[in-house]
Amino acid sequence: MNKELEHSFVTNLEQNQNIVHKVCRIYTSDPDSHNDLFQEITIQLWKAYPKFRGDAKFSTWMYRVALNTAITLYRRSKRSLRTTDLDSIDFKIKAEEYDDEVEQQLKLMYAAVKQLNDIEKALVFLYLEDKSYKEIAETMGISEVNARVKMNRVKTKLKKILNP
Amino acid sequence: MDELELLKQDWKKQEEVLPRLSYKEIYQMILKKSSSIVKWIFVISILEFVLWASLDIIFRFTGLHAEVQKESMGTFSLIGSILSYTILIYFIVRFYLNYKKIQATDSTKVLMENIIKTRRTVKHYIWINLSFFGILMISTTIYMLFFTNEFQKSASVETPIWMIVLSTLLVTLVFIGLIALFYRLIYGILTRRLKKNYKELEKLEI
Repeated sequence: MNKELEHSFVTNLEQNQNIVHKVCRIYTSDPDSHNDLFQEITIQLWKAYPKFRGDAKFSTWMYRVALNTAITLYRRSKRSLRTTDLDSIDFKIKAEEYDDEVEQQLKLMYAAVKQLNDIEKALVFLYLEDKSYKEIAETMGISEVNARVKMNRVKTKLKKILNP
Repeated sequence: MDELELLKQDWKKQEEVLPRLSYKEIYQMILKKSSSIVKWIFVISILEFVLWASLDIIFRFTGLHAEVQKESMGTFSLIGSILSYTILIYFIVRFYLNYKKIQATDSTKVLMENIIKTRRTVKHYIWINLSFFGILMISTTIYMLFFTNEFQKSASVETPIWMIVLSTLLVTLVFIGLIALFYRLIYGILTRRLKKNYKELEKLEI
């Protein structure tokens, strides 16, 4: 039984690992911290897995646990506490796809996102993942109205960071 | 906001450059131990319970207890012991129930609330203990000053009564202050980030 559970969990996670990697990208700034956070999210997912009934999609369920781990449960090492400057952003923008101006704009945007606080990062992450406000609200445990209000504030904040 | 839309488009492309772990690598990960804040809170809380619960035992072993017995305060100390263990059991049960509620599958807000609640249980326990300690120190001093002959005789000869009362009060206050400070430090380190994020989340509520 345990082996079966292990197998179904690892298979599920292997197929959906992108979600966890993306959370790690938003919350950490170097490969070591990325791996550290990935490890902790995996453990938290595994711990919660026996209660995963399959009534929700595995990926939907993952968003919650992954974000909760990044925001609340994970004990950050000193490395990841520092905010990143432009040079160290780890999002790889494929230069050939964009002209210089757009590329520069994207770089600035990613750097700006990294400057947000933990909660704001979660909101942006869910927004980028195309989640509805209803889903964002449910994941964070706030009302839909508040999710909208907060998202608007984050947008304003990002604008301010980009155009000081 | 155009920029955020632009980011959204690029975000999808990021999937191509994400690291990819193998089945085996992920399997290795589930065998490792968690080092989450909840685990730390659990360990430290248990240590705190053990420390305060063992004070009574230390008290008995160092002979202080016998001293109190001699001063015909036996019943008083027995009631005290029963009371302190009842309180201890009550708080451990509450702590355990709160701890069990902490689940990564809850919403972010509920998860944070449950962690804070668990930690608060231990905090209340410490405060009750400190208050008890204060009351005990003061009442013992008063008892010895006014109800025991031996103490009254020796006290009046060597040092004035107000001096004894004052110094007891001072020592008690300093002791409580030190523990409170130490405690705030542990509590602060453990929950600083959590509280900051919780506040940030709460700020949404209009």
